[in-house]
Amino acid sequence: MRNGGDNRGRLLLISLIVTSLFLITLDLRGVQVLGGLRNGSQTVLSPLQSVAATVFRPVGNFFSDITHLGRTRGEIEKLKANNEMLLQALINRKNADAELSQLKSVLDLAGTAKYKVVNAKVISLGSTSSFTQTISIDAGTNNGIRQNMTVITGLGLVGVVKMSYPNSALIQLATDPAFRVGARVAGSQQIGILSGQGTGKGVLQLLDNRTTLKVGDVILARGSQHNRPFVPGVPIGEVTSVDNAAGAITQTADVKFYVNFSSLSIVAVVVGAPQSDPRDALVPKAPVPTPVPTVTIYAKPSESPTP
Amino acid sequence: MFARRFLISFPIFAVIFVIQETIVSQFRLFGSGFSLFLIFTLLWSALGTPELGALTGFGAGLLMDLSQSSSGPVGQWTLIMILAGFSISYLGYGDDNFRGNPISLVVIVAIAVPITRLVYLILGLMFGGEFGSTLQIFISLIASGLWTVAVVPLLMPFVTRIHSGLFQDLSRG
Repeated sequence: MRNGGDNRGRLLLISLIVTSLFLITLDLRGVQVLGGLRNGSQTVLSPLQSVAATVFRPVGNFFSDITHLGRTRGEIEKLKANNEMLLQALINRKNADAELSQLKSVLDLAGTAKYKVVNAKVISLGSTSSFTQTISIDAGTNNGIRQNMTVITGLGLVGVVKMSYPNSALIQLATDPAFRVGARVAGSQQIGILSGQGTGKGVLQLLDNRTTLKVGDVILARGSQHNRPFVPGVPIGEVTSVDNAAGAITQTADVKFYVNFSSLSIVAVVVGAPQSDPRDALVPKAPVPTPVPTVTIYAKPSESPTP
Repeated sequence: MFARRFLISFPIFAVIFVIQETIVSQFRLFGSGFSLFLIFTLLWSALGTPELGALTGFGAGLLMDLSQSSSGPVGQWTLIMILAGFSISYLGYGDDNFRGNPISLVVIVAIAVPITRLVYLILGLMFGGEFGSTLQIFISLIASGLWTVAVVPLLMPFVTRIHSGLFQDLSRG
């Protein structure tokens, strides 16, 4: 083979390459059999992913916490004093509380906007080798989830349902480089297109060159026709910097997403949209500064100095 | 003979694939982490003949294409893995000094993983995919090489033992 003498090897290699090219052609032409194979594999894997998520998510959270080691050093020192059973109980409780908190906030958001939602648990964090940003959830077509539905958390937009299987669904995150959403600025109603960049920030490009953006502007989803793929009014993020380059046709800005995509555990899929646009009702409230009490002490020197 | 070898090793690949999709995918690691399945496949291919490498790549690529998180068309990973499996086994074929040296295997797999992903990226771009900023891609590719350097020594005893056991028995039979 190395000397080019093995014709059987060459024939095998060529046959395999031709087969793979044939598969690509079939897939690009939309042959359903191949899509069915992918659906089948996911149907088999999703129960296993659910179990693995339950077992390994605390471990995954532990690895995530390592990146914030400096901040949690004190907490780690305290935890060292606890025994193994208490530590396990704490991790499980922390996990459950975080999920409960996320579930509560997502229901609050959905309730305010009158969205009909299906809650789901994140069971997988997507491929590590395909350069895409996706998650899998444990609800699918059996729960009414279909392709091109909006996915939210209590903080705002997470992404869109890319594929739905009987018991699971693949969600394209808003951070995915291929992600696009029609957006508008709360208040001023300027519209634009927000695209994912593979990081925690997106880029908003305004459609009108006569309008301007400013840091701190809240960006909301503009909504799609028949509310698919995006329902209107979902908070997306906040403008962190504006590109005012001279000669640019339209203004662009960096938008920091409200959702923390590295700690998603509970999400909600919007299966029914409200009759009316919630407009700016979902804009997050600005934090109220806490007053700091000040105490003034007057010191008076004594008249008769002590020896 | 090839079909027989392929069928015998298929359950092992299926198990590694399930581990990748269910367990490894739960962790969000630096630089988008590593693909245990990709590393395992390339390491396995590096230990075999070029024909077996291509066939291994074909089977492994097909499984990768069936993954729901695979963004490209079915067949994209298959094509790339055939070429990767063939190339990596071709490089070391007939050179016992290469295959007998664990450091050579670590280095060759650590180089092959980012190259394979880069080829996937280029082919994906040709199919109209979008993959984010150049910096993110660069970090991800470098990180995958570094993760491979860390993972291959842990996998190697297991892979070499099973590979040699499986194929020595076959050659005796």
